[in-house]
Amino acid sequence: MTGNIPLKKSRGSIEDAANAALLIATFIGVWQIVFMLGIWPKISLPSPAMVAETFAKIILNGSLEQSIGITLARLLGAFAISITLGTLIGFVMIKFKGFGKTLNSFSAGLLSFPSIAWVPFSILLIGFDEFGIMFVVVMSSIFSIMISTYSSIRNIPPIYVDAARNMGAHGVSLFRHVTIPAATPSLIIGLRQAWSFAWHAIIGAEILMSIVGLGHILSVGREFLDMSQVIASMITIFTIGLLVDRFILNKLEDKVRKKWGLDNHR
Amino acid sequence: MTKLQAKNIVKHFDHNGNSVVALDGINLNVEEGDFICIVGPSGCGKSTFLNIVAGLEKPDSGEILLNGKPISDPGPDRTMVFQEGALFPWLKVIDNVEFGLKMAGIPTEERREISHRYLDMMQLTKFSDSYTYQLSTGMKQRVAIARALAMDPEILLMDEPFAALDSQTRDLLLVELQLIWERTKKTIIFVTHNISESVILGNKVEVFKNRPSRIKKEIVIDYRRPRLAEDENLQKYYHQILDELKSEVIARTKDEIQ
Repeated sequence: MTGNIPLKKSRGSIEDAANAALLIATFIGVWQIVFMLGIWPKISLPSPAMVAETFAKIILNGSLEQSIGITLARLLGAFAISITLGTLIGFVMIKFKGFGKTLNSFSAGLLSFPSIAWVPFSILLIGFDEFGIMFVVVMSSIFSIMISTYSSIRNIPPIYVDAARNMGAHGVSLFRHVTIPAATPSLIIGLRQAWSFAWHAIIGAEILMSIVGLGHILSVGREFLDMSQVIASMITIFTIGLLVDRFILNKLEDKVRKKWGLDNHR
Repeated sequence: MTKLQAKNIVKHFDHNGNSVVALDGINLNVEEGDFICIVGPSGCGKSTFLNIVAGLEKPDSGEILLNGKPISDPGPDRTMVFQEGALFPWLKVIDNVEFGLKMAGIPTEERREISHRYLDMMQLTKFSDSYTYQLSTGMKQRVAIARALAMDPEILLMDEPFAALDSQTRDLLLVELQLIWERTKKTIIFVTHNISESVILGNKVEVFKNRPSRIKKEIVIDYRRPRLAEDENLQKYYHQILDELKSEVIARTKDEIQ
């Protein structure tokens, strides 16, 4: 039984990689053809090779590395605040039911509130600085964490709690050994969603508010009519988003799902 | 010696805004070492009664005395084996069995010793490090029984623990449970809607009346063990209980149709 698993897995990942390579090759091919048809002038639509050249330039002069570093530092800082505060508020929502229910409805409304719309508010309240940008990111992701904490805990099957109380768990021990682990699969889904909100928010906020970072080099590209830089920035943003989701959040979710046997009911 | 005493337990339910009497004065004395089976039509409140004994629900009036002392909260002196789905999927089998011991603050080494003993008793040693989804329903219930026994409770509560099992597995566990009972001398209250199960297991069978629920009759079964499902001599007890239950099931069905 266990002997088959690694084999299957490695075959699957080779297949995945081949499919991904094919998709990227197709995309670049179509792009090259459209470029050669000359529908748009070069300045509006550069070729893949021109974008690659820009990539080489911004990698060599260090500006790409610097931008990625700054953006990720801001993002991780803000996301950490968002997770900490959001989870704590979520616990309070569970503890005080009426409050929780009301706040849950409000949070659901704020979930669909566009992150860019926080920018003017943040500029006036906090300013054109790191904290202003982080504020936008926190406000864009915290509601997702709050809602997910609240609903994950509320949806725990009551029988787990009954069984645990029956065996002498209560208060903190019940919370730590049953509530949290029982809610984990669902909490991770919330985390993934919050991450994607935070990622949207940081780029938006950097385009409008920053003088460094990925969002900034994207908007500089626009200002200098440098489409190659715009595209190179977009590809970078896409790649980082993909890598984090694929290799951190998705892995985490897979691990928990596997441990729980949630993938075995096919 | 009286282990557990239920004194005039009354419990109401809220059903579409109407108050329905679920338990209407249950009185029961459980002697040390008793194997009590509670049998009744579905929805008669027998599981509610067990939950009250466990402390998971509170009665509207009446009290439960364990060794003469009233109980109100759930506690590891009355561990429960639930029908199904009560094992923790995030823990390995062995950690499931040790859960209550861990809550009681028992040191790791001692926990290991106790859990090994009960895993061995339930023939689960090979599966210590498995997660629950890797087990069959029957093995899961063995884990649940090991988990409850590991607490060394004053009284073991079982709420239709074999209801979800296929009949072969159930027959096997019915025998095993009798052996465990003889070996551990535990006091057991076992709730079931299955008459044969109650006849095979119980030394006393309490027949519950349909809502509002009371104990209609106690039937003492003094017969050698281990009793097997196919034993013809058990038929007379079976019919005795069936006769008591028939009118209750009919009454229940009428209730549901109306």
